[in-house]
Amino acid sequence: MKRVGVVRFLGTNCDRDVFKAIEQVGHTPEWLWYEDSFEVSKYEALVIPGGFSYGDYLRSGALAAKAPVMNSVSEAAKKGVPILGICNGFQILCEAGLLPGVLIKNEGLRFIDQWVKLNLQTPLKSWGGSEIDKCEIPIAHGDGCYFLEPESLKKVMDQDQIWMTYDKNPNGSVADIAGVTNKNKNVAGLMPHPERAMWDWMGSSSGTNFFEFI
Amino acid sequence: MQSLKKNLKHYRLSEKEYEKIVTCLGRAPKGVEWAIFSALWSEHCSYKSSKVHLKKFYSKNERVKESFGENAGVIDLGDEESVAFKMESHNHPSFISPHQGAATGVGGILRDIFTMGARPIALGNYLCFGEATEKHMPHIVDGVVRGIADYGNCVGVPMVTGQTEFHKSYNQNVLVNAFALGYFGPEQKVCTSGAHGVGNLVVYVGAKTGRDGVHGASMASESFDDDSESKKPTIQIGDPFYEKLLIESCLEVMKHNLVEAIQDMGAAGLTSSAFEMSAKGQVGVSMHLDKVPLRDSSLTPEEILLSESQERMLLICRPENLDQLKKIFHHWSLDAEVVGEVLPTPNVDLYWDNKIICSLDPSAIVDSAPIYNRAYEPWEFKNKVTDLTKLHVEDPENTFKNILKSLMGAEKSWIYNQYDQRVGAATARDCSESVGVVVLPSKRALGIVLGCRPYLMRMDASIGGMDAVFHPSLQLALKGFTALAVTDCLNFGNPEKSNIMSEFVASVEGMSEACEAIDAPVISGNVSFYNETKTTNITSTPSTGVVGLKSSLNNIPTDQFKSSGELIYLLKLDQVKTLGAACEVLNRAPQFKGELDVKVINEWLGFIRKTVQEVPISSSKAVGKFGLAYSIFRMTSEGIGAQIKLPVGFEANDLFNETLYQAIVTISPSEKQSLETMLNNINLKNFTYHFVGETGGDDFKIEGLIDLKLKDLKNKYSNSWGKNFETLA
Amino acid sequence: MIVGVKILPREEVLDSQGRAVENTLQQHNYTINGCRVGKYIQLNVEASTEDEALKKAKEITEFVLINPLVETFQLEIV
Repeated sequence: MKRVGVVRFLGTNCDRDVFKAIEQVGHTPEWLWYEDSFEVSKYEALVIPGGFSYGDYLRSGALAAKAPVMNSVSEAAKKGVPILGICNGFQILCEAGLLPGVLIKNEGLRFIDQWVKLNLQTPLKSWGGSEIDKCEIPIAHGDGCYFLEPESLKKVMDQDQIWMTYDKNPNGSVADIAGVTNKNKNVAGLMPHPERAMWDWMGSSSGTNFFEFI
Repeated sequence: MQSLKKNLKHYRLSEKEYEKIVTCLGRAPKGVEWAIFSALWSEHCSYKSSKVHLKKFYSKNERVKESFGENAGVIDLGDEESVAFKMESHNHPSFISPHQGAATGVGGILRDIFTMGARPIALGNYLCFGEATEKHMPHIVDGVVRGIADYGNCVGVPMVTGQTEFHKSYNQNVLVNAFALGYFGPEQKVCTSGAHGVGNLVVYVGAKTGRDGVHGASMASESFDDDSESKKPTIQIGDPFYEKLLIESCLEVMKHNLVEAIQDMGAAGLTSSAFEMSAKGQVGVSMHLDKVPLRDSSLTPEEILLSESQERMLLICRPENLDQLKKIFHHWSLDAEVVGEVLPTPNVDLYWDNKIICSLDPSAIVDSAPIYNRAYEPWEFKNKVTDLTKLHVEDPENTFKNILKSLMGAEKSWIYNQYDQRVGAATARDCSESVGVVVLPSKRALGIVLGCRPYLMRMDASIGGMDAVFHPSLQLALKGFTALAVTDCLNFGNPEKSNIMSEFVASVEGMSEACEAIDAPVISGNVSFYNETKTTNITSTPSTGVVGLKSSLNNIPTDQFKSSGELIYLLKLDQVKTLGAACEVLNRAPQFKGELDVKVINEWLGFIRKTVQEVPISSSKAVGKFGLAYSIFRMTSEGIGAQIKLPVGFEANDLFNETLYQAIVTISPSEKQSLETMLNNINLKNFTYHFVGETGGDDFKIEGLIDLKLKDLKNKYSNSWGKNFETLA
Repeated sequence: MIVGVKILPREEVLDSQGRAVENTLQQHNYTINGCRVGKYIQLNVEASTEDEALKKAKEITEFVLINPLVETFQLEIV
């Protein structure tokens, strides 16, 4: 049973879903508020859930990346705490410089809600390890097109930082990237929503692995 | 005299109404009183043309906790759970400014729900557009869908169901009806809007007031004319991010019992919220208009009273709770401003710079509001015949292909894939299914279906009205749900025309009769009249939202065939027969035979539900528009084909014409006996069931009539949208 | 003093909005040699000279207004 901090910003809207998912697999979630710093050593993992922090105004994740809580998140990242950013959480981690790249508007310029199949490229020690290959979970985003210019992309590839890729690219992401990790492999970002695939009645329960193996 | 005429025109009041105002006040109105009467007596706020008939609605049973009069109806689900739901139109704003109009429609309906104290957990949308070839239609479709998506996705409430219709009668007047549903858990109380407690404070929360939407309520009560384009400045701009903060903060202050009464500022803004809160609570309130937070300091008192700026709430709190209340709003980065207090006198007193500018008794205004019993004719079944002459369909294969090519037959995933259907992590069935299903914390399932088939309304308003309740109820029953209650959005043309009013009355009576038969009361809704442009009225469209409950998540059949080799059965209750939607593809006038027997339908729905609950049905679907062939085809969407052989006595026409009511169910061969035993026990007039074939194969085959490759048909079906709307592909 | 911040996507980044606008224009027979869609922000900054205003605006812009991975900017005194 691990204590997992769930970071909420103004406009986060998958917070309660992530909280429930963590509880479901037997860990202990705890809220962290955007205005507050927190004691990093208290948490064995952190999740930044999806949503529309600050309404996605300016750029998705850009304003949240400057919130006070992110100082503590950065500190946790440095100390090797496993951190997962889902959807808007991924965008925030990129904007905060904790993950490479940036997420821009989907190629088709429209929000997309659909189920996708994912291929695992680099298993991490946390967030499902190697149990998540070929999992099917839903995406729901307007700014999910992952972008990195070629040189940085090569570097990211060479360092095995591509975590997961789409089986069929829905949004124009470079190299079909659905999720990336940092050099240390403790910070990860993923556009699809594993917390929406926790029971068969949701369409799939393959998201449970992401939260079970923290 | 000249200035009186000018005032009447400006405030959209009639001379008779002016005389009533004079009687009510005992003198001529002055200053902001004009604006107040104009807003509160508008069709939109007063329901003056519909009230007489809305009273006829079957609207109460033991489940109903709140109905008309509050922001939304509430029903008790048992197990200490309740839900609030409502549907509302945003037709006029969406035509003038599709993106903002549709977005603020979603915002408004959500506020109606969380104002009651319920957390919004599901959205639905009912849209009627004009022909794809109409000049502005692609732009409107695009804007409306984006507007709904932008707002709903951002606030984080899943879209779980919807319906989209196309017809030329909507070319100049589209319909955008938004449905929302909220949840109350065991600890949550229903909040109401009646002000009470003399000395309690009136608190303004949320966005600052701007000039947006001034005179919006009276605009919605007017027909479109050539000036509509120039009315743009009154369109409100929505901010879903702000709404999300309002949802969280309002639910939190309610949870802490810091709120005595609450009302959102919707149509006619501050005026209607203040007067309604006062009238409902039978107390007066004072309101210092100069204390209202403004976005634009040049606003006049009248504009402040009428502004329809979005994301604002008015609430009543005890003075001792103010600090804690402000703290919670501040936590969510919102300001709360005291603008007045509850008075012992019955009047609403409005102040500007500490000077009283208006003092009116709201009950007097509400009680003396005009009520019109508009002229209408007793309903005549104009298209009813004893012999159907127009059923014949030649060349079934081609007809079928033409249906898939038509906009009405086209796949609509382009629309719903832009909506977040799964935020909340409780969606068990999304927009791709006929019933949207959300899972409640008690692990029971809630089913939501929207109804009203405009092509049936064009055929007959009475049958169309009943069908707006029965068809969704059948869809629910086929998934094992019991329909519990109904909300509606009555979209009609000009009520001053007796043919429109006749259709209104016929469909309202039809809906009510159907609701009573299945014991699902109408608990909330809205009326949108004057959906006409110059002389063209829209198809009368009483859209509905029907909510059903199922005690467990097990055995909810899917719409799609799940495996090959299953047996396909047609269940048929033959009451009304028509060529239905195919009329419009084949360019024929509608006609029908027979009548609906509401008692028999109710019994039949009960049997269907019981069958689904007790026999492991794998997939099920109500036979809807375009009849049998199209409905079976829709069930093949996962690539499992169908091998159909029509039973003796059926002919090619039966693939396309529509019978109210029919359903398809599939079952594994091992369960054949248990299904047939169940069905043999149904002893209802005109009920028959038929084995019609098996699932499987990669073609769509109806022996001797249609034999086509599934892959080709699927391509046609999914490409049809893009072919109709090239710019939206 | 008001400083305008003009933000455009970097050349090497696919500007899907620009591409969509360009396609529409071409459909209507407008020949253009490219189109990019960005955004424009006005900052009202406290400053006594234009240089000071630009300096402050540059700092703010680089702090949060742009993401250098995908965007470039230009400042102007309005």
